[in-house]
Amino acid sequence: MVALVCAATVGARSMGAAFSSGLHLSATLAEPAHFSGFEAALLLVGVAISAGLFFWRFGPILGTIFRSKKDTNFSLHPIGRRVWDFFWEVLCQGKVIKQRPLPGLAHAFVFWGFLAFALVSLNHLANPLGLAFLTPTGGVGNFYFIFAAIWALLVAVSITGLFVRRFFARPIWLGTKVSNESGVIAFLIFLLMASYLGAFFVDDGGTAVKVLWWTHTLTLLIFLPLIPQTKHLHLVLSPLTVFLKRDGFSKIPPLSGDEDFGLIAGKDVTQLISLQVYSCVECGRCTEHCPASNTGKVLNPKEIILGVQSYLNQSGPASDAPLLTEALVESRDNPPAKYMSMEAAFECTTCGSCEYQCPVGIQHLPIIIGLRRGATNTGAWEDTHGTKLFLALEKQGNALGLSAMERDKFIQKQGFPIFDGTQEYCLWLGCMGGYDPKGREIVADFARVMQHLGTTFGVLKKEKCTGDPARRLGNDLVFQTMAESGLKAFEAAKVQKIVSICPHCVRTISNDWREYGIAPEIEHHSEFMARHKERLPKQASGESIVYHDPCYLGRYRDVYDEPREIVKMAGELVEAPRSHERSFCCGAGGGLAFLGEERGERVSHVRAAELVGTGAQIVGTACPFCNTMFRDALSSMSDAPPQLLDIAQLTARALPKMQDTGE
Amino acid sequence: MKILVAIKQVPERDAQINIADSGRWIDESDVNYTINEPDAYALEEALQLKEKNGGEVVVICAGPERVTSTLREALAKGADRAIHIESDDIGERDTLGVAEMLAEVAKAEAPDLILTGLQSDDLGLGQTGVVLAELLGIPHATIIMQVEVTDSGLKVKRELEDGWFQHVEMPLPALLTIQSGGNKLRYATLMGIKKAKTKETRTVQAGAAASPAITLERVYLPKKQKKTEMLTGTPAEVAAKLVEKLKFEVRVI
Repeated sequence: MVALVCAATVGARSMGAAFSSGLHLSATLAEPAHFSGFEAALLLVGVAISAGLFFWRFGPILGTIFRSKKDTNFSLHPIGRRVWDFFWEVLCQGKVIKQRPLPGLAHAFVFWGFLAFALVSLNHLANPLGLAFLTPTGGVGNFYFIFAAIWALLVAVSITGLFVRRFFARPIWLGTKVSNESGVIAFLIFLLMASYLGAFFVDDGGTAVKVLWWTHTLTLLIFLPLIPQTKHLHLVLSPLTVFLKRDGFSKIPPLSGDEDFGLIAGKDVTQLISLQVYSCVECGRCTEHCPASNTGKVLNPKEIILGVQSYLNQSGPASDAPLLTEALVESRDNPPAKYMSMEAAFECTTCGSCEYQCPVGIQHLPIIIGLRRGATNTGAWEDTHGTKLFLALEKQGNALGLSAMERDKFIQKQGFPIFDGTQEYCLWLGCMGGYDPKGREIVADFARVMQHLGTTFGVLKKEKCTGDPARRLGNDLVFQTMAESGLKAFEAAKVQKIVSICPHCVRTISNDWREYGIAPEIEHHSEFMARHKERLPKQASGESIVYHDPCYLGRYRDVYDEPREIVKMAGELVEAPRSHERSFCCGAGGGLAFLGEERGERVSHVRAAELVGTGAQIVGTACPFCNTMFRDALSSMSDAPPQLLDIAQLTARALPKMQDTGE
Repeated sequence: MKILVAIKQVPERDAQINIADSGRWIDESDVNYTINEPDAYALEEALQLKEKNGGEVVVICAGPERVTSTLREALAKGADRAIHIESDDIGERDTLGVAEMLAEVAKAEAPDLILTGLQSDDLGLGQTGVVLAELLGIPHATIIMQVEVTDSGLKVKRELEDGWFQHVEMPLPALLTIQSGGNKLRYATLMGIKKAKTKETRTVQAGAAASPAITLERVYLPKKQKKTEMLTGTPAEVAAKLVEKLKFEVRVI
C-alpha cells in the first residue's frame, strides 16, 4: 500500500509536466510503451494486497451466508423464469429504470459501462505483464477502446449525476445519513473513467500516459476492497440474488421440521435470507413505497433488512439471541434498534410494494412474515386485538368472530343455493362476504351478475376463513387448521371451480394453501366478469370512477386490466396518482384490518384522500377489505364523499331488476 | 404449587342444536365440541398462577374419547399433564356422580389448588366444583374474578350481584370456581401444539355409575315468539306506558 501511495505522488507531479506540454485529442488510446520489471512487480504486489483486502472482508460474509440454515424446499425450477429475471432485472436493468427512470437510467449507464469496461480493465492490468490482448493498433482493439470510451463518458456523466442526487438533492428515502463511502466510491468511479479517457489526449509512451496508467490502476486497486465494506457489495451479490430469489411473490416458505417456528434468532435465518440482506443497496425504494413508513409508523422495511444484516455481522448465523425486541428500544446503534421491534414487524400491511420495488432481488415479505411467525408461533407476541382475532378464528372459524349462524341466515335470505356438484361455480363468500354488511351487498350484487349471465353457482353449506389474516400475522397453527378444513370442504363438495369477491381469499386459496394440498381452480370476480363483459350491460353514465388497485389483486396476482375493463363499462375510468404496481395500500392487509393502527396517520385516510383528490364521482374497489377501509375513511373526511362501489356493484346497478331473487 | 384444573367439553356455541329422538338430550351426531368457556378461564388463571409462582398445572376431563382433543388443546396452551377419565355414560350421571369421578383422581393427585369454571355452557348447573370440594373436604369459593397467592393461602375476589365484589382470604388446599372474563385468554400456538405431543396424557377408567339422584326429564329448544302490541294515547301517555312495560314486563330498565 505504501508503495502505491508513493507511486501516486510521483505520478501527480509528473502529470503537471505532461499537461503543460499541450493536449490533443486522438482517436486512439495512448499506452505506456514500456513497463520495467519493478513496475510489473509493484503491480502484482498491489493486486495481491487489493485482492487480499477484498477477501478479508468478503470471506467472512460468504462464510456467514454459507453457514446460515439451508433453505428447504428451494428449487432452481422454473429455470426459465430465473434466466428471464436475470436478463431483465440485471442485464437490462429493467426494474431499476422502470421504477425510478432518471436515476435508474444513470445507474444503468454505470452498470453497462462497467460491463463494457471489464475487458479494458483486464487488458489494462495484463499490459505490464506482457499479456495484453487488446492493442490500440489492432483494428479490434482500437474499435473496442473507442466503444469503451463512449461508455466511459456516459459513466462519468451518470456517476456525477448520481453524486449530485445523493449529496445535494438528497431524496429522503436514501436515509437521513448518507454514507460518505458512497461519495468516495463515486469519486473513484469518476477517476477511473477520467484516467481512461485522459489517455486519448496524450501521446504514446510519454510520462503522462504512464501517470494516467498508474492513476487508473491505483483507483482500481482501491476500489476493489471497498466493495465488500459498503453497500457496493451489491455489485458482487445482487446478480446472484436476483437469479436465486424464491419463486413467486410474497412466497412464505413452509416451516422445516419440529424446531422451526419462523425467524426467532440467527439460527433460523436461511442462506437465501442471508444472501438477500447482504445484497441490500440501501436505495430505500422499499421504504419510499411502504404504507407504514409513509404514515409515521415505526416500520421501515429497509431498516429491517439492514437490521438482519447487522445482526448477522454481530451475532452470526448460529446465534440464539432474538432478532426482534419485544419493546421499542431507543438506541443510537446503527441501524437503530427500534426497527427490529415487534411493534415494527406487526405494522406491515403485507402490501408487497417493498418486495415489488426491490431492484436487487430482496424478498421482504418472507422476512417480515418470518419474524412475525417467530413471535406468534411461540406466543411471544401478545396483542389484545391479535389474540381476539386468533381466538375468533379458533372458535367461530371467521375473522369477524360472529356466529356461523349469521352466515346461514344471510344465505337463506338471499336464496343462495347450496353447492351440490350440479352447479358450475362454487361462490366463495369469505368472511367479509358472509358476515360484513357491505361485503354482503357486494356478494349479493355479484350473484345477480352471475344469474344474469345464466351461470350456475352454489355456496358451501359451511365455510371457514381461508386463514389469510393468520397466515400474514405468522400464526401457522390457525392457518394450517383453516387451510386443511377448507381443502376438505372443497373435496367433500366436489367443487371444480371457485369464484370470490375477495382478493385475499383468492390469493390464499390458490397459493398459500398449496402447502397442504391443491385447491380447485379459483378466480377473482373481476376476472370472471371481464371474461363475460360482452354480455354485461354498457352504461352511458358519464360518471368518473377512480379505480383503486387492491394489493392482493395487483401486485399479488398481476390482475390490473380486468377490473378496469369493468369500470370502463360503468363510466369513465380515472387513474389515481399511484396505481397499478405502485398502488398505495388501503391499510387492511396483513391482518391489520383487525389490529387497528395506533401510531401516525391512518393509511386508509391517506389513500382515500388521494382518491378523492382525483375529483372522481365514484371510488371503485375490487376488494371488500379496501371497501370497508375506505367506507370509514371517506365518511370521516367529507360530508359529501364520492360514492364507494365495488366493481360487482358497478355492474349490477345496470342490470334489469330480477323478480326471482326476492329483492 | 400444584394446580388441578377440571374442564368439561361442551358443544360449540354456534352449533345448530337438534333434540335427540329420546327428547332427553341433544342430537350429538352433527355437533363440534370445544372447551367450556368458564373452564378456559380457569385454565388461564392456573397458567398465570404457575407463571407467577411456579409449580405444575394438571388438567382433568371426564368423558368419551372425543374429550382428548380438548385436553390436547389445554396441554398446547401450557398445562403440564393431562388426565382423561374415560366414561361413555357421563350424560347419565348427575352432578354428584361426575364430582365423585373427579374426586377419586383429585385425591390421588393431592393438588394445592383446584380450579374449575363456575358453570358449564351446556347444563349450567354450577354445582360440580362445589360438590367436588365438599367430597374432598376442602374449602371453596365460587364466581372468582381474581386470585392472589399469599403467605397463608389465597386472597380471592368474588363477583356478587349488582356490581358488588367480595374479597375472601382462604387457606390451601382449596377449590375455586372461576368466572369468565377475569383474564385475557391466550391463543394456541404452533410451539404449544408441538410441545403438547411430548406431554403425558394418562387415561383412567371411570367406575360404574351409581343410580343418579337427579335425572334429566326433557330438553327442548326455546320457543321463538314475536308479539306486537300497539300503545295508544297522547305521546306522554304512550311514553309512560312504554316505561312501565320496559320496567315490569320486559325488565330491561
